[in-house]
Amino acid sequence: MRLFRLTFATILQRKAWVICAFAILVLPFVLPWISSSTEKPILEQPARILAAWNTLWITTMVWGLFTAAREGESNAKTGIGEYFQTTGLSATRQLFEIWLAVICFITPMAVATALICQFGAGPADPAERSMWWVMNLQYVSLFLMVVAPLLALATALASRFGGITGFATTLCITLYGLYGVGYLDNMVKIEENALIKSFLLFSPQYRFAGDLTQRFCLKSGPVPMDSYWTMLLYFAGILAVFAGLSRLCFRSKTTA
Amino acid sequence: MNQVPPTIHLDSGLEIGYRDPIARFGQSVELTGGTHFLLARNGRGKTTLLRTIARTLKPVAGNLRTEGFTQYLPEDLRFDPEITPGMLFRSLLPKDRLTQALDLAGRIELDVKKPYGRLSTGNRRKTNLIMAEFSVREDRGNILLLDEPFSGLDAFARQIFEEIWKDSAANVLRLVSCHPDYDSMEMPSALLIEGKTARHLNGGHQTWSELKSLLN
Repeated sequence: MRLFRLTFATILQRKAWVICAFAILVLPFVLPWISSSTEKPILEQPARILAAWNTLWITTMVWGLFTAAREGESNAKTGIGEYFQTTGLSATRQLFEIWLAVICFITPMAVATALICQFGAGPADPAERSMWWVMNLQYVSLFLMVVAPLLALATALASRFGGITGFATTLCITLYGLYGVGYLDNMVKIEENALIKSFLLFSPQYRFAGDLTQRFCLKSGPVPMDSYWTMLLYFAGILAVFAGLSRLCFRSKTTA
Repeated sequence: MNQVPPTIHLDSGLEIGYRDPIARFGQSVELTGGTHFLLARNGRGKTTLLRTIARTLKPVAGNLRTEGFTQYLPEDLRFDPEITPGMLFRSLLPKDRLTQALDLAGRIELDVKKPYGRLSTGNRRKTNLIMAEFSVREDRGNILLLDEPFSGLDAFARQIFEEIWKDSAANVLRLVSCHPDYDSMEMPSALLIEGKTARHLNGGHQTWSELKSLLN
């Protein structure tokens, strides 16, 4: 796990994660002050939930994907990937170790967000509180299932096409999956279009995971378990496709 | 300890290059533990040969075999500018060798707390070399392929590394590409790429001054 340790130490040393951790820990408590919840205290809880989960998504999309892309690019361009390859570390293993180092920063941020949601914006009623735990666990697991393959893809694309391509492509996929597919879905509902419908069918529906923020705010309760498992399976399918794609794209050195 | 010694075997007819051959071995070459120098003029295939032996590049024709834990240190290897040599060693070296590595860094005046990006070329080279030298496996034979390790390195540090190389010659095979800067440098074993032909010269006291006249 030498490459993992090196990548982890590199990210740690750059310190940009401190800003992300600060945002994740502080913004959920600060942002509600500048929202309408100051006039309507009943809105403070949903405002905090919104701030917490949205900060996590934004942090992951901006810093997480950028970091993954940067690590992939530098591994290929600086000779580090080639060095590790000669020591017997295969390209698959390199991709895995770089991905693992990045996800090791993202996972605690997701857990911290869930804990803020649980203890900083949880309901007082014990029955509702236990429901909150389930929702938090569902959200964290779905979030990680969405984000994990995107980080690998960012690393892989960056190793082959450069950091900007790796970052921008995965950022666009994430934004499209979270928001774009919703607009397309509404369009199809208003006006039938076979082309858009088939495009929608093959689009990553990340909004299923993102929708949990609304479930928290509206206190709709956890996702029914059968729907949850279906979603998890669906995201596992995307993970498998992206993992394969990432391995195909990833390279440990620039071509001579 | 009973272990397989490190070896590199280059078959007769081995051709190296990128699609088109740059150099060809007319006779087979067998290298074992110790330091071997790789000499050629610029652009004649030193790096290509090292990469071929490291198996990050396929030979154009022919075969080669290696035995041992291989590390190829590219000339342009560079780590993240923010990371310090100290962090680098802690991340990459076995714990039981870390103290020795830091001790060597102290002896050759490498500031292990300074970010890699702010180190001079020579000090970056020292960092890379320490990393590779202390990553060798003690339980098996090792092959170290070093591409221009001396460029930018001061004479004092170079001497210390050459002493380390002598001490570990049995367990480590080093193939070192370089452009020596003094004529009396002894090169008992040298791989020469002359024109499009590569060959191995083995002579007890052959020096750079004798060998350089063969390069064209």
